[in-house]
Amino acid sequence: MPSSADGGAADASGERPGFAEEALPYLDAVYRFALGLTASADEAEDLVQETFLRALRSWDQYTRGTRAKSWLFTICRNVFLRERQRTRRHEEILSESVDRSGPARAHAVSPLWASVEDVDPEGGFFGKVVDARILEAIFELPEEYRTAVVLSDVEGLSYAEIAELVQVPVGTVKSRLFRGRRRLQELLYEHAVEMGYLPSAAEKGIAG
Amino acid sequence: MTIFDRLGSFFGRERRYDGSAAISCDDAVRRVQEFLDGELEDVSPEEVRAHFDACQRCYPHLRFEESFREAVRRAAGRETAPPELRERLLRLISEARSDG
Repeated sequence: MPSSADGGAADASGERPGFAEEALPYLDAVYRFALGLTASADEAEDLVQETFLRALRSWDQYTRGTRAKSWLFTICRNVFLRERQRTRRHEEILSESVDRSGPARAHAVSPLWASVEDVDPEGGFFGKVVDARILEAIFELPEEYRTAVVLSDVEGLSYAEIAELVQVPVGTVKSRLFRGRRRLQELLYEHAVEMGYLPSAAEKGIAG
Repeated sequence: MTIFDRLGSFFGRERRYDGSAAISCDDAVRRVQEFLDGELEDVSPEEVRAHFDACQRCYPHLRFEESFREAVRRAAGRETAPPELRERLLRLISEARSDG
């Protein structure tokens, strides 16, 4: 690695901070976002590389003061969508059906909660599920849900920031987020029952 | 003011003070997601927090969602870009710089 790699500030243009200094701190975040989009480590790597190269090329258009993280996420998502449009058009159509039941109905109590109310009302079983299984479960979510969950629960973006990034209304973000979380909770619950962290519904039936 | 009024206002104030009467169980549980997301619109986070703190029935709902989020954040937040990718990017960036 050249020792001048950190020396962006010494560029002839001078007044702008170097790309590496501004963008690379978000490499892990962009990688996690790319994982959320692609649900594949290999694809995420390619996507991140392409994202940073494109960002570098359009570095002149980056306005200082905008959040570099959001800017990189936007580029990442655009690259991903363009790539996917080229390769797998049908998936987009498929995933559009995801939101049909409309927003806001997923607000109330998790339907799952009734299943654990007697044995683990505070959801301690979530903490027992190993990281790898949680990641797998995230990958199993429909893409729209997955993206919303990663951006909110992992990267801490606000509803409005996600809405802007994904180009949908805030209500849709909430709907995707809440449904995604519910679905993820179900997947983790099923796993916890399989692993014996929780009794199965049948066992509970016998006990009761 | 009758003794009943006084009692009423006394208990009313008491309940408002601990927050448990300010919003119903239904309202609190329905808003648990927005509350944890810091995105409440029509009620203050203090009101919702006060309800969960004071209500034995609702508190587990809050903990349930918190446990879930902690697990997701822990699992996914631990993922980092592979070191090879970082090195490759640094190389590509410095190459691009010397080209331009």
